[in-house]
Amino acid sequence: MASVTIEQVRKQYGAVPVIHGVSMDIEDGEFVTLVGPSGCGKSTLLRMLAGLEDISGGEIRIGGRLVNDVAPKERDIAMVFQSYALYPHMTVAENMGFALKLKGGDKAAIGKRVKEAADILALGPLLDRLPKQLSGGQRQRVAMGRAIVRHPQVFLFDEPLSNLDAKLRVTMRAEIKDLHQRLKTTTVYVTHDQIEAMTMADRIVVMRGGAVEQIGKPLELYDRPANTFVATFIGSPAMNLFEGSIGDGQFVTDGGARLPLPAGYSVHAVRTYGVRPEHLALSENGVPATVVVVEPTGSETHVVVKIGSADTSLVLRDRIDLEPGQQIAVAPDLSKLHLFSASGTRVN
Amino acid sequence: MSDLAIPTVQAKVKSERSSIGSLHMVQTASILVIALVIVSPLFMLLIASLKDDRFQILADMGSFRAFWVSSPTLSNFAEIGNLSGELAFGRYLVNSLIILASTVGAGLIVNSMAGFVLAWGSLRGRALILSLVIALYVIPQESIIMPLVIMVSRAGMTDTFAVQIVPWIASPLYIFLFYQFFAQLPKELFEAAEIDGASVFRIYRSIFLPLSLPALATVSILMGIESWNQYLWPILVTQTDYARPIAVAIATFFGQDSIYWDRAMAASVLMMIPILALYLAFQRWFVSSFVGSAVKG
Repeated sequence: MASVTIEQVRKQYGAVPVIHGVSMDIEDGEFVTLVGPSGCGKSTLLRMLAGLEDISGGEIRIGGRLVNDVAPKERDIAMVFQSYALYPHMTVAENMGFALKLKGGDKAAIGKRVKEAADILALGPLLDRLPKQLSGGQRQRVAMGRAIVRHPQVFLFDEPLSNLDAKLRVTMRAEIKDLHQRLKTTTVYVTHDQIEAMTMADRIVVMRGGAVEQIGKPLELYDRPANTFVATFIGSPAMNLFEGSIGDGQFVTDGGARLPLPAGYSVHAVRTYGVRPEHLALSENGVPATVVVVEPTGSETHVVVKIGSADTSLVLRDRIDLEPGQQIAVAPDLSKLHLFSASGTRVN
Repeated sequence: MSDLAIPTVQAKVKSERSSIGSLHMVQTASILVIALVIVSPLFMLLIASLKDDRFQILADMGSFRAFWVSSPTLSNFAEIGNLSGELAFGRYLVNSLIILASTVGAGLIVNSMAGFVLAWGSLRGRALILSLVIALYVIPQESIIMPLVIMVSRAGMTDTFAVQIVPWIASPLYIFLFYQFFAQLPKELFEAAEIDGASVFRIYRSIFLPLSLPALATVSILMGIESWNQYLWPILVTQTDYARPIAVAIATFFGQDSIYWDRAMAASVLMMIPILALYLAFQRWFVSSFVGSAVKG
């Protein structure tokens, strides 16, 4: 196990910069998730950490050792790929033992390590099978087995659950988290799925356009997003954002709706008013709204309403009969408002 | 469904069955004709090789007697199957086998390595090298053959096995075939092996080469046929029996005064056996490789 330090790391392809001076410290044994939309540079950063991409500038240290120019095999890392990248002509046992064989370990020792890893991942009965004889979930577990059998200092996961169906993804998510809790190996996990990031990580790094938008614990990012991008990226359904300005102690949206502010709120540089769908409630004295769509999920009801001219999401815990077109009134929880400046940064 | 509809459906099924049946018959007939066209000369060759009278062979050609032998004999094979002397076809066959095995063996290694490096190596000017390799392919062998003869004779290589093997090991066609095959394998396989600690050569040997059986089979067969059928080059660079291949030796039967059809037929049968065996050995992968490349989107 080892800490990972990324300092002012840059990457450019020719004259095109794709990573703009990213810095972060990952503690020994920590599970960090890099999350962001497609093309934000999260996979490139992970590949730079693995040594599969050159670094145009900055420093990467694993366990305090500068690894900028160190070959992937010398970095003592293991990587799980989105496509699993299992060797098709090798059995599960051979796939898992390949790295150890290259290191020159004796056959009995390799067999023992492979068996240990197979026991952890319940792969014992599959050791003699070829990858094509396995299901998607089993292949995923073999890919993880191939990583853990080496006892690396750092695990790198590149969107490992993207090829699985929704149900299996939830199961594997729990398995990876459980595996990390057992092995306590430093883990960097790339995903574009914010639910995956929220449920698995000790800390999340939100990226956009090759830069870090915010680093923090999952609930920190949820409760206090640093800007409008993080506010809308983390949380599902996404946070409602209203553009407008403050006037007469209220927030007046560009669509003409008047939203309440906490008493005595005096910062005038607010351009965007944010409230999460679950922090809006039906209230007789609230803001007038018109029901557009009602989506019952069983445990809760998702409702889309129009406030002013803006479509706004609500998540209601209670089962309430609402009809499209119905006039209602909603009120935000004033202790959980998110206010942002014109540049999109948080001001409250 | 109404009762009236049932006979209609039955009639439809019956007409579909009969049209499938006639299609099947046309297919079988076509395959039979094609097989006859291809197999009949081979069969005629085999029958002629079992006749010991060369004038009879000539007389039988052009009639159905060419496909029948009343008293088959292996005397032609016995006459030519010597390892030395005037009719040392045993030796020529062995020579051809040595040339074939060495060319194909070395060719598989060299061309696959070159293809692998062009597909996955981190060498400068890779695209330019690949373009040059493809450009080389369009140059006909015959156009470079005279300068090549001068080169090998100056190097003192004439009348050796090496002169019939070395110039034909590296081939732009086979390098390109391997390049194409390796390039379509997923990048993650290379990267996973790299992270596992494999060197580039180990990745080639342990991961990519075992996955390229169809390409290896295709190149083995094409290269084997090419080497086996070499005629112009060995005529130019061999003077004695020492390294003369069977294809050249067979031509000696067709002299100015007389043609020894009986021995020529037996020698041709001998010549066909190894290349047929090579094809049959690799046929499964050869066919799958062509099918694979045909259906790939």
